[in-house]
Amino acid sequence: MGILSLLLLLPLLGAILIALLPRGRQRLIRGLALVASGATGLLAWSLLGRFQTGTAGLQFAEWVEWNPRLGSAYSVGLDGFSFPMVLLATLLCFIALLASSSIRERVKGYYALMLLLESAMLGVFMAQDWSLFYVFWELTLIPLLFLIGRWGGARRQQAALNFVLYTMGGSVFMLIGLLVAFDATPGHSFAMTDLATAGRLLPEHTQVLIFLGLLVGFGVKMPIFPLHGWLPLAHVEAPSPVSILLSGILLKMGAYGLIRAADMLPAAVMALQGLLAALALFSLIYGGLLAWRQTDLKRMIAYSSVSHMGVVLLGIAALNTAGLTGAMMQMVAHGLVAGSLFLLIGLLYERTHTRDINHYSSLVQTTPRFAFFTVLAFIGAVGMPGTAGFVAELHALIGGFERWGWLMLLLSLGVLISAAYAIRTVGRLFTGPVRSQMREVQDLRPAEMLSAGVLSAGILLLGVFPSSTLNLMGASVAQLSALFAAH
Amino acid sequence: MAESLVWLVPLLPWLAAGWIGIGWLLGRNRGEAGERGTARVASGTALLALLILLVLDVQALWTGAAPGQVVLGQWLASGEYQVLVSFALDGYALLVATLVAFIGLLVIRFSVNYLHREAGFQRFFMILSLFTGAMLLIVLAGNAALAFVGWELAGVSSYLLIAYAYQRPVATINATRAFLSNRIGDAGFMLGLFLCLHLLGTLEWDGLARGAGELGQLSAALVAAGFLLAAFAKSAQVPFAPWIARALEGPTPSSALFYGALMVHAGVYLVIRLEPLLMQSPVLLALLVLVGGLTALYGFLGGLVQTDVKSVLMFSTSAQVGLMFLACGLGWFELAAWHLVLHAAWRAFQFLSAPALMHLMHRPTRPVPAWLRGRRWLHTAALQRFWLDPLANWLLVRPTQALARDVRAFDEHVVNRMVGLPASISLVSSLAQWEQRKQLKGGVLDGDTGDVGRARGAAGHLMEWIASGLQWFEERLVLRGGEQGLQSLIQRLGTYLTEVERLLSHPRYLLLVILATFVVIL
Repeated sequence: MGILSLLLLLPLLGAILIALLPRGRQRLIRGLALVASGATGLLAWSLLGRFQTGTAGLQFAEWVEWNPRLGSAYSVGLDGFSFPMVLLATLLCFIALLASSSIRERVKGYYALMLLLESAMLGVFMAQDWSLFYVFWELTLIPLLFLIGRWGGARRQQAALNFVLYTMGGSVFMLIGLLVAFDATPGHSFAMTDLATAGRLLPEHTQVLIFLGLLVGFGVKMPIFPLHGWLPLAHVEAPSPVSILLSGILLKMGAYGLIRAADMLPAAVMALQGLLAALALFSLIYGGLLAWRQTDLKRMIAYSSVSHMGVVLLGIAALNTAGLTGAMMQMVAHGLVAGSLFLLIGLLYERTHTRDINHYSSLVQTTPRFAFFTVLAFIGAVGMPGTAGFVAELHALIGGFERWGWLMLLLSLGVLISAAYAIRTVGRLFTGPVRSQMREVQDLRPAEMLSAGVLSAGILLLGVFPSSTLNLMGASVAQLSALFAAH
Repeated sequence: MAESLVWLVPLLPWLAAGWIGIGWLLGRNRGEAGERGTARVASGTALLALLILLVLDVQALWTGAAPGQVVLGQWLASGEYQVLVSFALDGYALLVATLVAFIGLLVIRFSVNYLHREAGFQRFFMILSLFTGAMLLIVLAGNAALAFVGWELAGVSSYLLIAYAYQRPVATINATRAFLSNRIGDAGFMLGLFLCLHLLGTLEWDGLARGAGELGQLSAALVAAGFLLAAFAKSAQVPFAPWIARALEGPTPSSALFYGALMVHAGVYLVIRLEPLLMQSPVLLALLVLVGGLTALYGFLGGLVQTDVKSVLMFSTSAQVGLMFLACGLGWFELAAWHLVLHAAWRAFQFLSAPALMHLMHRPTRPVPAWLRGRRWLHTAALQRFWLDPLANWLLVRPTQALARDVRAFDEHVVNRMVGLPASISLVSSLAQWEQRKQLKGGVLDGDTGDVGRARGAAGHLMEWIASGLQWFEERLVLRGGEQGLQSLIQRLGTYLTEVERLLSHPRYLLLVILATFVVIL
């Protein structure tokens, strides 16, 4: 058994073991979940030493035939696009589990589902066969439906239903797109490489049709402007650890899929480049302005995710090295920033039981450590130089500028808006007159500080030394952008 | 040999100033205990500067020729323009510099007793040293740029000395007024510098003298006009004359040094330096005659009606300096130079003895002469100092203030509002105010949005407006449409299908469907 299969099985194994444990052993269950997730994380991060950054090809690949008549196979592997995502996913899963200590009821089901979700997410990023990809894609829905629907806030049922309906609706289009592509290829295989070589030869209008289907599917997840209706409610109603995973990793699945689709259908992407850029810029500003208007903290972060994913889409739409690098970098950066923000706001909510920004004041006096990490996360969200977001936005800006020139002023405008709500929020939470309700708020405990510290350190490290991450994705990005440079 | 040490002459007093200042910061020379050391450093450096100058003088007398222009290096260069560190050690400069150093030393020595146990003793000596160095640099500088450095420093130190008693509002107002009057002259100086570089490519005094012949009449007049403006301001000639009366606010020794003996002569010194340039331009010579003559009259008439010693001396100084300008205008530059030196020495003595003058007087002061008393209008004008100060107020100060008020109003009411900065009145300066305002608004209740989503300024309002539009769109179409639309669609579809299902369960419809199938197959 290969190392990637082990990576997929470890959380699954943990989930099964937890399911076998008796209901009352809460501490044991939590410990086991942490061990399983931690082991997965260690295994994934140990690959860092063995991953060859110079080559764009698949590494650690495994291939087992699955259904020969359909041409599908169990095929997993890592390249420069998927490896950073796998690393991010294992890290955030571990931190989300660490932050789950407030879940006190139905603990067994919760941890089992979380581990199942981790396994499914890793599968999405590692799958090298479209049918396998689709299976994992749908598999993420099942644990999420229960996680939001059972452990969420007041309107959890509606949020869960909404989320699943939206994603399923998108998946239908994606499936149709994949089937059309499958049908149009002579080899009748679902392998990503086969479909890619065949897809590139298709006539442009076929490519555009297929790509539109995939765009709807991935766009729901990402989310792109008109398809983001599920996001605010789901993010707000989900328990905080699930919010971390939702915005930290689940959103990236959409962007990751879009990059794979671009690899398969270059002519279509070139044809729809303008549309993608327009959607990206609109999402960017739309999300930012709505985030600025929200009084609910989680809702604000949810909309800021729409804005930040707009940068990712813009980078992808630029179709050059700088743009794609920016998109990948922003995915990592946003994973860290949004994870950190949801973590901290979630912890704050546990203590104060309010998410309304108007109820907060002068927290810097009672909770200085909270203030430090939150300010750091918000600075990362704005993309200040020295944080990962800056590297990402700069690359996206350069890539976009090469394509569209001064239109990139809109990107800067988006950054400006994000600064407006970030500074406003920081000011509201931490400064101002002292309120009696805010005097008793407890500061971060050591374990919480560890998780916040890891994410903050990531934000800063990637901002100051971005070359390690850039090397990781460099070869794959170069290969993909060479494809479009030829056009 | 000795001329290579000339840079020490202005630098030594500055070092003394720096020493005193740092000592004060470190708390070494504060209070009465520090007076002795402070005075020693200040007078020691002044003495050393004087000695260097004397060596230079003796050397010049011995060899029978002054060293002339001495270039010690380059200060700055940009493109083809360069400014050198050079000193003009001709007979004229050496003579005046020796006099300056000597008077400076005397004044410092005089002040040791005069300012004993004054609160600002150390500060006074620091500024005095700064001024001595500046004045020496003006005189010794070999080019206009270096002279300007001294010129500015002299202006700054005069500002600091007039405001010596800065606790008194009058002192600070007078200091500001004097400094600003000087700045008008500085603008002229800078214009002169720029035109020199532009037209002649050099700032060296000897280069200026050589190049002056090749300049046209107009160019020479332009270059000289800037410097003349500076000279008029510094020497308190007619339109600028009132500042010197305000300068009396400083301690007596400083008045002696600045306005009696040394600084008022800086303008004359500059004019004599520019002799080759001025000789090219008859218009400017006529201007010199006019301004000098007017100032002499102003000083003479004004001096007649003054009733206190320092004011009389001040007006008489003005008159004498006016006469020097007059002499320059008539082409008698050498006469003006002698006049300058003798007048400086005499006036220094007069000012320093002014505090003791009352003890030496044996008869009452002379009354205003009869011919002046007879002419009412002239007497009034002299008493009012020819209304120069109110005129300046009316012409410059008030319009500037009015403009500033208008611009400020524009800033507060238009720009600040547009940018979204709070006007000064709406600032919350205390917690109590904040609470009060909050109570007025009824506090923040649940569901109240507070001021989230509110913004100030034009850009802020635009953002607010767009954001609220998008919010409406989001609430109405995306969220409600997405949630309820999707669900109601599914529910409606479900009802239809149930209906179809129900109909199909009726045998007759089932039969119909089967029949239809057959028809299609056949």
